[in-house]
Amino acid sequence: MDTAVANQTTTAQANTSHPEEHSVFNKTKSVETEQEPIKISIIIPTSAYFISGIRDFTMTVVQNMTGFSEQWAYRFQSVVDELANNAIEFGSASGEDVKITFVSMKGKYIEVFVEDTGTGPVKKTAAEMMDFVKKQKSVDPATITTLRGRGLTQIVSSWTDTLEFQDNEKGGLTVHVVKNLERGEEV
Amino acid sequence: MAQVNITFQDADQAGKALKLIAFEGQLDETNVDAEAQKIYKVIEEMAEPNLLLDFAGLEYMNSKSIGYVTDWYSKAVAKNGKIVIARPRANILDILKVVGITQIINIHDNIDQAKAAFSSEATPATADKPAPAETPAPPTTTV
Repeated sequence: MDTAVANQTTTAQANTSHPEEHSVFNKTKSVETEQEPIKISIIIPTSAYFISGIRDFTMTVVQNMTGFSEQWAYRFQSVVDELANNAIEFGSASGEDVKITFVSMKGKYIEVFVEDTGTGPVKKTAAEMMDFVKKQKSVDPATITTLRGRGLTQIVSSWTDTLEFQDNEKGGLTVHVVKNLERGEEV
Repeated sequence: MAQVNITFQDADQAGKALKLIAFEGQLDETNVDAEAQKIYKVIEEMAEPNLLLDFAGLEYMNSKSIGYVTDWYSKAVAKNGKIVIARPRANILDILKVVGITQIINIHDNIDQAKAAFSSEATPATADKPAPAETPAPPTTTV
C-alpha cells in the first residue's frame, strides 16, 4: 500500500487508547480473545491511483483478521476493488473522498461499507441501484457484450451474502456487503 | 498505480499464424484502457487474429479488463480468428468463471494445449485447476 496514503488516511476505530494498538498488524492477539468486531476505515481521494493499495490492504485484512481462506481473500480483493472503483468513477467528484470501512468478526463474517459523496457524474438513489442489480442479476453473464456491467452485478453479488445500498444524509450512497464464513471457506 | 508488462511473440500452429501475448502484473482501472489498445492494434493488423493470451504472470484483473477480453474475442471472431487463454492463476480463473467467460473462451492450463486449441473447433474447455508454475517462452517483441 502507498505508505503516504496509509499514514494519512487509515483510521482504526477499535476501542483502544494507544495509536499503535489501532494498527491492523497489532490486532491478531486481541482479535482472538475479544469477541467484538474490529472496524477499520480508510478514506482515499477520488482517484483510481490508490486502488492497488486498497487491494493490498484488503488482502491483509481478510487473511489476518477474518479466518477466510486465501481464495476468499482474493475474491474480497475483487469485491472491494469493484465497489471502490464505482464510487470513484460515478459517486464522488474529483477532489472529494471515498470512505471504505471494513468490519470483521474473526471466524464469523466480514462486511464492507463503501461510501461516496454523491458529487460524481452519475446520481442514483439506493432504490435505483437495487433495481439495477436485480435486473442485471438475471442476465446470463455470458451474453454481456459491453466492457462494463460485470463488477457489481456479477462479481460483487456472486461473492457476497448481502448487497445493499443506503442513501446518505448529506448525499451520495453507501454500498454495504456482507460475507459470512461458511464451512469450507475457512483457512 | 498498477503495473503490467505485455509481450508479444509470433508462433505457428499447424500452419496457422498465432500471436502469443503474455501478461505480467496487474490490470485494473489505472492501466487497462491504455494497455487494451495494444491488443486492438494486433487484432487490426492480423488478417486472421489468432491470439493466445498467456495469463501465467497476470496477478489481478478487474471487471473492465474482463470486458476488454470479451471485446477482443468478438473482434477476433469477426475476422475469422480466435482467442484462447492459457495458464491463468487460481484467482484469475476464479473470476473468469464467475463472470461466465469460461462459457465463451477456451482456457487451458498449459501452452501446448492452448496452441492445439487453434487447430480444433472444440467448444470452450475450461481448465479445472490453475496452471502450474511454468517458465514462459522468452518474448521476441515488447510493446
